[in-house]
Amino acid sequence: MINHDLWHEIHDFLVHEARLLDERSFYEWLDLFTDDVVYWMPERYNALDMTDPSDGVSKPGELALFEENKETLHTRVARLATGKAWAEVPPSRTRHLVTNVQVEPSETESQVRVRSNFLVYRTQLEHGQDLFVGTRDDVLRKVNGKWKIARRTILLDQAVLSSANLSVFF
Amino acid sequence: MNTPTVNQVKGFVDTERGLLDRQIFFSQEIYQQELERIFARCWLYLGHETQIPNPNDFIATYMGEDPILLCRGPDGRIRAFLNMCRHRGNRVCRADQGNAKDFMCSYHGWTYNTEGQLIGVPGMKEIYFGELDMDQWGLVPVAQLDILKGLIFATFDPKAPPLLEYLGGQEQELGIMFDRRAGGTEVIGGAHKWVMNANWKYAADNFFGDDGHHTITHMSVRRVPVDKRYYARTNDDAKSDERNSRLSLVPEGIIRDYHLKHLDELVERIGPELADRPGLVTTVFPNVSPNFTRHMIRVWHPRGPEKTEIWSYCVVDKDAPAEVKEAMRFHLTQTFGPAGNLEQDDMNNWVQCTNTARGLIARRYPQNIQAHLGHEDKAGPIGGGRRLRAFYARWELMMKAENWSEVDLKTRYF
Repeated sequence: MINHDLWHEIHDFLVHEARLLDERSFYEWLDLFTDDVVYWMPERYNALDMTDPSDGVSKPGELALFEENKETLHTRVARLATGKAWAEVPPSRTRHLVTNVQVEPSETESQVRVRSNFLVYRTQLEHGQDLFVGTRDDVLRKVNGKWKIARRTILLDQAVLSSANLSVFF
Repeated sequence: MNTPTVNQVKGFVDTERGLLDRQIFFSQEIYQQELERIFARCWLYLGHETQIPNPNDFIATYMGEDPILLCRGPDGRIRAFLNMCRHRGNRVCRADQGNAKDFMCSYHGWTYNTEGQLIGVPGMKEIYFGELDMDQWGLVPVAQLDILKGLIFATFDPKAPPLLEYLGGQEQELGIMFDRRAGGTEVIGGAHKWVMNANWKYAADNFFGDDGHHTITHMSVRRVPVDKRYYARTNDDAKSDERNSRLSLVPEGIIRDYHLKHLDELVERIGPELADRPGLVTTVFPNVSPNFTRHMIRVWHPRGPEKTEIWSYCVVDKDAPAEVKEAMRFHLTQTFGPAGNLEQDDMNNWVQCTNTARGLIARRYPQNIQAHLGHEDKAGPIGGGRRLRAFYARWELMMKAENWSEVDLKTRYF
């Protein structure tokens, strides 16, 4: 039985997060994560056998695109704030679209598993255009009455990225 | 003061005056000549032995724009072939890596083993009347393949000199990264692969010897040091007088401690002079760049004059403790790759350098590669601007040479 109130609450949270990213309120965005967050974007590749969804995805301990904790996320945000992180000078214009939100309650009320799909449209400079499409598997935890992201696994749906860099967040 | 114009550049590369003709970064004709004269002739990097440790392991890669299958046969021998069915041209393998006894083309079913032999043709009797000479229609093999310190190289030119002769001594320098410990190195699983709209040479020359870009391109990292988990400081914090000393490119922390602990073994293996170098960031001409400080090896696959596909792997000492390997991988992800805090800022520079070069007026003006020109003795052991000129001297040599006898491999290009 889906708890619609909970679903709306979580959905609002994700939409709010997307807005913070698109408005480049990165320090506020950081506040949405728990201090022990694991933020991970593994690699995708073509395996011979792709029967299991985990096939063709790099494993923990292997090379990933993002392998972050709260401190390294903070470093990334602080680096952007220097104004000298040239990949973001001038800043990308992004639009984070979040959809297919599914909320799976856990045994404790203070934790939920949230799956969502995303489409991030990024344009930069005159003609630069990138589409990042994928899915996220999050664990949200209630800390002092507020939802925080405690774990985020991001799967981009490209094996070879068609973008010169990943200077945006997901 | 005279502004140098392209007409003053002797040929495409003028190493005496440190000038480069911008055409070499966008011209389709020059690019086609690069594929023929450089990528079809030079020794190219295919992969690391540890990526295919077992019989019938394979990885897919590229030599220039040609898709390649790198296989370890049931006999344990490593071979490389065009990933192309000899029948109509379909790729015989669509996976990036794996283990397979044979590869069946998904078009008409021609089937090859991991030694490249054609072992099955549907309709052999009914369509070919048993007359197809299967020995003649195996996968197209590379002309030569050799392995150096775990690194697999190959060339499609049967006349290319042996790998060691081709490297002309650079193999010794590679020991700084690939011969530190008795167990050699290994590739950690996973790879960074991405595409940028830039000429491959910008990236290859940058790793070979553009040590002048660091301060500005990576300015943000000087202000906000990355990876405090494993590195107490970034190498940018190193005092300039330390920059050319032993391990100065490896800042304090677990990884530096590891290297210091095994310094005696290193000196014994590669000698005191190489062991004293700050590290290794270079390019083995034309397009593979190891980076000791970032624990990485990468290939710049050309995809047209204005496009490059970057493949990057994490390489660590096999004998290193698990927590050191973990630190190396973590540090690589924090600094390099498409999301790397340092490398993010490289790509757009190269993209725009490529993009402006094609301007009609822009291309009349040569590029400046004059750093340390006339002051090579002050460039330090890393080589400074001399190395950029050396890279393009080598490039021009390969482009002009009709055959290998015209290529002086004894000249130190590294």
